[in-house]
Amino acid sequence: MKRHRWSKHRSGAAIGFAWAVLLLLLPGCTGQNPGSEPISKPHHVVRLEYWTPFSGGDNQFMTEMVERFNKEHPEIQVVQKNSRLDDYYSRLKTAVLSGNAPDVAIVHSTIMPQFVQNGYVEKLTMEAKDLGIDWKRFNPNILRSVLYEDDYYGVPLDTHALVMYYNKDWLSEAGVLDEAGRPIIQKGPDGFKSFLEQIRRRVPADIAPLAQPSTRIDSVWLWWSLYNQLTDGGQFYSEDGTEAVFNNPAALKALSFVNDLYKDKLIPSDINDAFQLFYDGKAAVLITGMWGTGAFEKAEGLQFGVVPVPTIYDYPAVWGDSHNLSIPKKRGMTEEKREAVLTFANWIVGHGDMWAEAGHVPSMTELTRSEMFNRLEYRSDYAATANYVAYWPRNAKQWSINERIISEFERMIYGYQTPEEALDAAVKKINADLRK
Amino acid sequence: MIKQLRRGIQWLKNLKLAQKLILINSVLIVIPLGALGVYAFSSFRGTMEANVGESQLQTMKQITLNIDTYMEELNRLSLMPYQYQDILDYLASERKPGSSLSLEEISLLNNFVSKVFLNGRIDIMGVSLYGSKGASYVVMPESQYVTSYKLDEDAEWLKEAQGHFGEPIFLTTHELKPTSGSVYEVFSIVRELRSFDSGQTIGYIVLDVDPAVVGTILAQVQLGRNESLYITNAAGDIVISKGSVVPGADGAAASFRGEGVTHLETNGERMLVSYATSELTQWTTVGAVPVSELMQDSVQVRNSIMIMGMVCIGSAMLFSVFTAYRITLPIRKLSRLMKKVEKGQLEVTFPVNQWDEVGQLGSAFNKMVSRLSELGYLLYETEIREKDAQIAALQSKINPHFLYNTLGSISMYAELEGSKEITTMTNNLSRILRYSLNAHQSGVVLKDEIEHIRSYMAIQKLRYDERLHFTLDIAAEAMDCAVIPLMIQPIVENSFKHGLDKGVGEGRISLAGGIQDGLLRLTVEDDGIGLTTAQLEHIRRQLAYSRDLGGETGNGLLNVHRRLVLCYGERYGLTIDSMPYRGVRVTLTIPAKPIPSHRETEAAAVFHSTS
Repeated sequence: MKRHRWSKHRSGAAIGFAWAVLLLLLPGCTGQNPGSEPISKPHHVVRLEYWTPFSGGDNQFMTEMVERFNKEHPEIQVVQKNSRLDDYYSRLKTAVLSGNAPDVAIVHSTIMPQFVQNGYVEKLTMEAKDLGIDWKRFNPNILRSVLYEDDYYGVPLDTHALVMYYNKDWLSEAGVLDEAGRPIIQKGPDGFKSFLEQIRRRVPADIAPLAQPSTRIDSVWLWWSLYNQLTDGGQFYSEDGTEAVFNNPAALKALSFVNDLYKDKLIPSDINDAFQLFYDGKAAVLITGMWGTGAFEKAEGLQFGVVPVPTIYDYPAVWGDSHNLSIPKKRGMTEEKREAVLTFANWIVGHGDMWAEAGHVPSMTELTRSEMFNRLEYRSDYAATANYVAYWPRNAKQWSINERIISEFERMIYGYQTPEEALDAAVKKINADLRK
Repeated sequence: MIKQLRRGIQWLKNLKLAQKLILINSVLIVIPLGALGVYAFSSFRGTMEANVGESQLQTMKQITLNIDTYMEELNRLSLMPYQYQDILDYLASERKPGSSLSLEEISLLNNFVSKVFLNGRIDIMGVSLYGSKGASYVVMPESQYVTSYKLDEDAEWLKEAQGHFGEPIFLTTHELKPTSGSVYEVFSIVRELRSFDSGQTIGYIVLDVDPAVVGTILAQVQLGRNESLYITNAAGDIVISKGSVVPGADGAAASFRGEGVTHLETNGERMLVSYATSELTQWTTVGAVPVSELMQDSVQVRNSIMIMGMVCIGSAMLFSVFTAYRITLPIRKLSRLMKKVEKGQLEVTFPVNQWDEVGQLGSAFNKMVSRLSELGYLLYETEIREKDAQIAALQSKINPHFLYNTLGSISMYAELEGSKEITTMTNNLSRILRYSLNAHQSGVVLKDEIEHIRSYMAIQKLRYDERLHFTLDIAAEAMDCAVIPLMIQPIVENSFKHGLDKGVGEGRISLAGGIQDGLLRLTVEDDGIGLTTAQLEHIRRQLAYSRDLGGETGNGLLNVHRRLVLCYGERYGLTIDSMPYRGVRVTLTIPAKPIPSHRETEAAAVFHSTS
């Protein structure tokens, strides 16, 4: 009897023990939320947001480069975000002001002063040196555009300047193509005009002799190039930089020439997308940035050539700008990200030959001298352009000042005002802006 | 069946006690613990699956909500044209596709589109404005605006957008191919723009959005390694997906409406599928994870339960085995001792350390063994004595008839010769012989014994003649008491030895007897040399303690005493009193057991004789 009771007691104890074990066990398990458990532990990846303003057919080349960089650098993931140039700086400025700027952004040399002056981009000197960015390897003309005092504020990617594309089929039909496939243009403004007139006479009416959009900055670029070709031209600001002074005869001369092209319908009116027009073979000549080369090469049935913008006046000069990779200032910037950005920038400029395929002139001298680059058709034809590029003057407000000029020129092209009035209006408005 | 059961029960019964205990304990431990484990695990598994399903559904709802938040913004953005009457006017205007715009229109549209692009936190990739009368303004990434698009009246999306009362519709991911050559993946929101005044449709606005945002929302969610996470529109087409999709009946992605959790079997794998449909976009977010993956944790739990269970059961079993053996240890020892006793080894003792049942059993066993050994000894002694008596009888039996005949002849001759003494002596001798040789027979009463003594004394009378004075005084009621044969003769012989043979005293020997208090008491007295105190002590001690039978040379008194003790018990036997030179008195005490049906029917007579 006693024995039986004892055994009962013991099995009771065993069950109690089992309960205790289970109770201890269960919460430990239910506590593991299956969702919270990292299912696969990816190695640490630095994610970089990269903003670009490429809208001229060159973006596909940048996308390719970014993809290749990501493939070669599994520890860095660059996410490119491209917007049209029209909105790009509004977007970037807003982002900078609202504290959610990208980790790396393309900043044009023209707008760089504004970013530098207000401390919107980081100095690169120290960090770049540590990462093996050798400033001596860059084209000094290009490098100057990111050098402020003794500090660099961006890694120059390229120079892009205006060049002249021409449709070989239409030019040969017009009889202005030589045997080497180069356009035959007589010297001086009249020479250039007669070159276009010759084309207009020979090609079908729906083919633009010279394609230039009637809005936007293109006409300003052309004017700036021609203005800089004049011996007494190129002056934008007064010596002390406090006011704009381009309402002078030389500027008027250049602008009148441009205006005449529109007025004489050598540039057809109401062209929206000149690039597309040339791409589609609907234009004989196109003066635009060198970024179009890569895209035109891909255009089916387009036989085109490219030369530097002709020297219509006294000496060669052409509008140009540079793309630079800069680090916008923001709170969340870490040393790790900064390093990754510079690694990326170094890689991108080091692979300038890839970028050159889009049409730009790489910023590294060794690349422009390289066989690779020179083997590329067309690019070598205009690589020298980089040496006489006429940058916009360094002014913190240059970008918005250009906007003023654009809108005045647009009004001129649409016939609302004369070139003289356009220049005066622009200078007046710009001076008002400068006094602010 | 029943046979087997019976056999099983028998097998159980035949098991050793310790084994039985272990077996019972095992059953008592394993069954409840096992049942508990199975129950706990299955209920845990069920709860877990339900919880996971619920949380997955919540995740789907959260995704839907996040996407809806985004879409709501897009929705608002698509309302922007209503805030710009100029835009509405432009769209309502009659135009040929591709006709050029005025500078003001360009500026207006460009401003508007820029505002759309820059507004909000949404990455708009393309904005398209279509007027129902031919106006259009389409901006795609990497290209300038285009005004040459003509509204395709047959486009699916257009039909879908019509009659929606101005509510937007969401188009799934499709490709956008601007002139630059790049291809963009976008999804779009389409809204029909109507005039409040006329109620007519003015046109449409289409916003193309990078699906990366929705992709990011999806990417933030990780359901499992082999998850399927995707969004389908109302028609069941994939909007965006992450991982594989759950194939439906027709091979395309399985689509669901509403919200809920369900199970699907795909490619032989059971999937937990949860889904939630957005009211805004009518898109359904579907998430599916293989149940096996979700239950991976539960497998761990099961293993832990099993391991813990094993450990518990193992330790409980060890403990059980230990205690079972410990408890049955004394029983097994007892059993071993019993086997020894069975073999006749009686010098064993069970060490009693505890006073439980086993202790009591052991103590009882000890008592039993000691009693057994005592009884064994007594039996042994009786047997030996019996044997001795028999041998003696056999010896004396040597041709008794010859002796009787010879004695008869002697008696006859003596009578013829006239020798009366010889006749008496031979007749008495013959009687003594006859009694002695038949002494082993049972049912001897005192009368027979007295007859025998009388004969014996008659012979001795002839031998000792005048020196012997024998008196006999026995109560008549004692004559029928059962006695052991030949029990008095050794006492009388002893009296001769000590009384007459030593030549001291007058040679008086008296035999008296009677029943007193249920005891038959016989007294033999002599007036011989008697015993010294030391001798008396020695004899008394011998009577009390010695188990020695005395043998042939031994004391006749001792022999009689042992026989009486063996026959009647320790309380009975002989007692001796003596005084030096005053004689010896031996008293014989046995229980008085009269045998009424005595074959001798003669009335009891008082023997009285004086010689």
